[in-house]
Amino acid sequence: MAPKPGNYAVLEAIQHEMRRDPHLTMLYEYQRPTAVSPTGTVIDLHAEFGEPRIPDWGPIDEEWFVGGGAGIAMTGVRTIARVPSMCTLRCFELVFNQVGKLRHMTGGQVNMPLVIWQDASGRRPGSAGQHADAGQEALYAAIPGIKVVVPANPHDAKGLMIAALRDPDPVIFFHYSGINSVSVDVPDEGYVIPIGEAAIRQEGTDITLVGYGPAAIEINKSLPDLAAAGISAEVIDPRSIKPLPIEAINASVRKTGKLLVVDHGHETLGTASEIIARVAMAVPGAKLARSTFPDAPPPGAAEMITWMTPDAPKIVDAVRKMVA
Amino acid sequence: MPRDEIDGGRTEHLPGGAEAKGGLSRRSFLQIAAGATGAAMATKATVARAGNGWSMGLEGVPREKLLWMYETMLKSRWWEEEMKEAFLAGKDGLYGAFHISIGEEASAVGVMAALREDDYIASNHRGHAHLVAKGGDIDKMSGELFFRSNGYNLGFGGSMHITDVSKGILGMNGIIGPQYLFAAGAGYSAKVRGTDQVAVAFGGDGSVNNGWYYSGLRNAALYKLPMIAVIENNGYQISMPQARTNNLVNLSQLGAGMDIPHETVNGMDVLAVYAVTQRAVARARRGDGPTLIEAKNYRYYDHSGLAGAKPGVFGAFGLPYRSDSENRAWMAEDPIPKLRRQLVANAILTDEEATQIEDAVRARVLQSLDTARNAARVAHDAALSHVFADTKVPASQFAV
Ligand SMILES: Cc1ncc(C[n+]2csc(CCOP(=O)(O)OP(=O)(O)O)c2C)c(N)n1
Repeated sequence: MAPKPGNYAVLEAIQHEMRRDPHLTMLYEYQRPTAVSPTGTVIDLHAEFGEPRIPDWGPIDEEWFVGGGAGIAMTGVRTIARVPSMCTLRCFELVFNQVGKLRHMTGGQVNMPLVIWQDASGRRPGSAGQHADAGQEALYAAIPGIKVVVPANPHDAKGLMIAALRDPDPVIFFHYSGINSVSVDVPDEGYVIPIGEAAIRQEGTDITLVGYGPAAIEINKSLPDLAAAGISAEVIDPRSIKPLPIEAINASVRKTGKLLVVDHGHETLGTASEIIARVAMAVPGAKLARSTFPDAPPPGAAEMITWMTPDAPKIVDAVRKMVA
Repeated sequence: MPRDEIDGGRTEHLPGGAEAKGGLSRRSFLQIAAGATGAAMATKATVARAGNGWSMGLEGVPREKLLWMYETMLKSRWWEEEMKEAFLAGKDGLYGAFHISIGEEASAVGVMAALREDDYIASNHRGHAHLVAKGGDIDKMSGELFFRSNGYNLGFGGSMHITDVSKGILGMNGIIGPQYLFAAGAGYSAKVRGTDQVAVAFGGDGSVNNGWYYSGLRNAALYKLPMIAVIENNGYQISMPQARTNNLVNLSQLGAGMDIPHETVNGMDVLAVYAVTQRAVARARRGDGPTLIEAKNYRYYDHSGLAGAKPGVFGAFGLPYRSDSENRAWMAEDPIPKLRRQLVANAILTDEEATQIEDAVRARVLQSLDTARNAARVAHDAALSHVFADTKVPASQFAV
């Protein structure tokens, strides 16, 4: 057990499952499935499993990974389609009209053991427009028949990837690049983090803070300042957007009476909206607020995108006002 | 890519320096040229041969156009070189995407030389040379790379998204593929409006593996749209050699199945690119539909950013996915000294005049970087405008 980068942790999960399942197949574009652990262990899935289970590179053809991957999965071969970060919605139509519907539409005949390993950029200066997005997991969560997970650290990434690879249904795994460098211990052996199970990161009594993926990282950064201000925050990372572990959040808000949801997705119809709507119905009288990226594409200039991003200073500020 | 596949085995004699250890110095594309007077004479190659990889001479090309080609290739070259130096020096706090097109100037300039100002281009992530060649303003380009208020996109876009609709530049773009749809669409628009404008899509060898590529070209053929697709085949999709992403050698072959005129041209020869593009433009303006041009070329730097690049050294070396000697082989074919030699050999320019043009270009480029350095920074809350034509969006990041 040692800290491992996120990419390594996910490859470790896939390696583990590929050793168990002789057909498990992965298609990818340019994100070659190799990584080195801090102790020097190398994972090279192509070298270990070879063609055709892991081809040597791939074309710029995201529809192939997802659509072809769905075809592979329909025949009973569990498949991973890794899609690059600027293409979070490139295959939306295939996921909506095919991947998510086929089991139901065929009266339960079609199994779809497809895992979409969706790289995601997250808010960052300089990339601009199409390479600094976040929040598209909410759009997938709106599709019937798709499970959606968003890890916030390498440990959760490994456990959620293994869970996804053992799930009978299609799972989209949003992998924000910002989580790769979060330092947490990652066990060497395989383990499962059940899809739909939240993590209570910190217990507290004054306010409930909810965020996943990059927002969870910012919430975590805000904790020392909140503690210094004498604020007792309960911190919940839902980890799954669908199914959403709403009961853990409701229970916390019943205790604290206040909820701040931090979301790097956009304001309108993002995950924060869904969480707040559900809590509002379940916990009448709670004080509810959200901090989201505005309804604008991400601009390149650092001045602009930093100001727009729900980050630790903005979280501290909002929490102080809410508990005042 | 063996040279044989490009020009049928003809080789050019390039005087010393090309194999120098540790890479060419950044001035050596001039030195190669300076020693080469008379080395290459214009041939009687026909335009048809250009499409089969033959080198073209400058016969029939007006002097003004030749000088424009020379100066424009230099402008793009030095703008990227100086921008690279600024990134490496680290003093300006530069950040963000930076896909260098150095080595690929001949395809950009050769294509644009055949276009009119009111024609359209849809560019990709590696589009600086396209912009410069289509008349882009380097002050505004520099401003955008500095994310300053004088930038083309007011700091919203950065290198990868520079756009100048007023010059028919429908934009660089961070996504692979829409260029083909946009150019086909712009061609459709020309038909609707009854103009004879032409629209050109630029893409790399990686972009032809994409469904949008086929949709753009197929529909251009179906509706006989004035569209030209230019594949700048630099041999690599990021670090993947073309052979690993596609089973073809000549990507122009893709035109055959769609019954679209197609040819492969030496992308290191601006005159050859110009010749085949002229033919494609004439076809488009006549209403005869699209053309697919594959220009084989090479990027001397890494896919993105500055791995392997050093201050004062021309080209990036030591990259894991390609050999330095391969890079040097292509640098030895550099289109700029190639044209310069022809201009001097044909008495279009003296050697001194050629150098003067280059010095003036360089000074102008440095001035554009200074202008950017001194330009105002963008206001953080400008971010909420330009989502819609006339309203701002709410600042939802502030919860309470
Ligand atoms: C639809 C899409 N998929 C993937 C990417 C990521 N990407 C950016 S550039 C690039 C390689 C492009 O290679 P090529 O088309 O050969 O152009 P080159 O970079 O060589 O000029 C890739 C895969 C993208 N921008 N858009």
